[in-house]
Amino acid sequence: MRRAPIVAAALLAGSCSSGAQYAQAIVALVDVSGTYADQRPEVVNVIRKGVLPHLTPGDTLVVIRIDSESYKKDNVEASVTLDVRPSKANAQKLQLANTLETFGHKPLRAAHTDIRGAMMLGAEYLRETNAGRRTMVIFSDMEEDLPRGVKREMATDELKGVRVLAMNVKRLGHDNANPTAYRARLAGWEKQLTSHGAREFKVVLEADKLADLLDEG
Amino acid sequence: MERLYFWPTNPAASLFALWVLSQVFLYAARVPMHRALREVGRLLGGAFRIGARWCRGLAGVAARRDHEMIVEMGKGDTEAKIGREFHRIEGAFAKELARYPDLHRKLDDVVTKVDADFQECATAAPAAPGWSEAVAAVSKMPPNMDATVKKVLEEIQKSAVAGEKKALGEFREATAKKHKILSSMAPAWKELQKLATEVARAVSGALEATKRIDGFMSSYEKVRAADQKATRALGWNATQLFVVSLLVMAVAMGGAFVNFNLIALPMSELVPSGSRIGGMPVATVAALVVVLMEVAAGVFAMEMLGITGFFPKLELLPKSRRRIILTVALGGLFMLACIEASLAVLREQIVESSTALKASLAGVHETAVAQTASSRIPVVGQAVLGFILPWILAMVAVPLETMISTGGHIVLSAATGLLHLLGMICRLGGHGMRYLCEGARHLYDIYIVIPLQIERMVGSGARGAGSSVGLRGQEARR
Repeated sequence: MRRAPIVAAALLAGSCSSGAQYAQAIVALVDVSGTYADQRPEVVNVIRKGVLPHLTPGDTLVVIRIDSESYKKDNVEASVTLDVRPSKANAQKLQLANTLETFGHKPLRAAHTDIRGAMMLGAEYLRETNAGRRTMVIFSDMEEDLPRGVKREMATDELKGVRVLAMNVKRLGHDNANPTAYRARLAGWEKQLTSHGAREFKVVLEADKLADLLDEG
Repeated sequence: MERLYFWPTNPAASLFALWVLSQVFLYAARVPMHRALREVGRLLGGAFRIGARWCRGLAGVAARRDHEMIVEMGKGDTEAKIGREFHRIEGAFAKELARYPDLHRKLDDVVTKVDADFQECATAAPAAPGWSEAVAAVSKMPPNMDATVKKVLEEIQKSAVAGEKKALGEFREATAKKHKILSSMAPAWKELQKLATEVARAVSGALEATKRIDGFMSSYEKVRAADQKATRALGWNATQLFVVSLLVMAVAMGGAFVNFNLIALPMSELVPSGSRIGGMPVATVAALVVVLMEVAAGVFAMEMLGITGFFPKLELLPKSRRRIILTVALGGLFMLACIEASLAVLREQIVESSTALKASLAGVHETAVAQTASSRIPVVGQAVLGFILPWILAMVAVPLETMISTGGHIVLSAATGLLHLLGMICRLGGHGMRYLCEGARHLYDIYIVIPLQIERMVGSGARGAGSSVGLRGQEARR
């Protein structure tokens, strides 16, 4: 009989948990190199309309720029973890929208495309959040072009439990001439990312579907 | 299958060889196999029969328990009703009997007054004895008399006439006085009538209560005697109550759900914690707790009002303490209702803010958003709903008590029915197993019909030969 309160307290303590594991963390990688640099305002629009409204208190959103050397902390354009109070979370969303708007109109254009560097940086941020659902949304043409001397070797569990969504993948000039090359490029990414622990790699064509995919987790 | 072939290149021959082998083997094993199948049938049938008996026994136990429970419930209910009637009678009698001395005194006074008046009315002024006869004798005397005598007589006549006139006047005066007394008696009579009506009403009330008690007593006796009809009626009554309370509870659950949704979102503003309990955010748990607290406060309020009887200990408390608990419960409910009303207003503000944010993120012009959200009706509606719902939820204590008290009967009835059904299935299963094993035996025999026919032919041939040998032996002996 004496043990009953202890057991009850232990059960109650066991049932209490941090809300982080139920939260969602999204990292948006935005390509600002080559032909994709012109797409930035559209990308910002997609994030504003498709990602931001669907974030709930406790969720995290990190926006990382993909440029010549993306594995730098400076590449983080915006990062926010929404407050648990809905009113404060709304204010944070509004502020983030303004930051993204500024980012959308910045004169940026990189010579090279370091996608994996941005992925590694994003993966680190995702791990840090300890969120239950981790998603990486890539806005790029998925054509990597590393500068000379830059090496990007991802660990086998670099993207463990991360869902990768390739959004608004722009077709390059030679892709239109040979769609098989475009498909092979995406298949190569899928193979590479899943081999590094990614839960899923999905190409999203319609911006409207992004919100549903994020809700699915 | 192909691995079993003796000659893989010739499957037909292999299959035939297998068939022949199986025929031989199964023919040889026929008797033990039949015995085994019979035993298996018996075993399975027995197991199912035992299961059926067990189910029947349990169903009987459950039915007995249900019966006992129903009888006890009926007894308790009738006792409560009788007790209530006695309580009413006690109250009525205490009231009436307290008034009785006063009533009696009033009646005595009125009766004394009426008696006195009556006595007064009865006394009349007596006439002078023999005076009228004397006057009549004098008036009958002949007129040829002495003048002196005549004068005397005339004077006597005059006096008599005057006396009569005076007496008549006095009589009239006395009669008028009596009429006056009689007319003053009318209010007393009316009061008497009123008092009599009051007494009659009290007596008829007592008689009605007695009739009701008689009815309750007769039903109580029936219940005590475990009369089948009375028990069935009680069971049906309990089922009806359960269904009704279940419906009301379902409605109340709907109300609780609406209530919960009304306060869950704004609660995250009041309880800003990222932690979760059992997977639920603390704010949601807090909203749930608020709803449950309303129900708990309602339960205590109903208990203190004497409508429900969840806690026997609380019934024993003195009235003053009960009143304190009632005040606390009602005060708590009022506070929670006020909190909910304010949370509902806050919710509307949060929703408006979120809508405006979404519109802003989507690039919709602000004026269009402002136009759609200009009405204050939703805010007022939600605030009123937030204030009313706790009071409605508080009422849930009554159907909850009914559901709990009648739930036992429903559970036991359902268990009895289920066990009867299981018993029937087991019985059918037992029969099925027996016939299945019997069928398997027949199928076995059908499969080895060729060796069996050969055995029969050989057997009949041997019997024929044996009988012919016997006949020959008999003939030889002769």
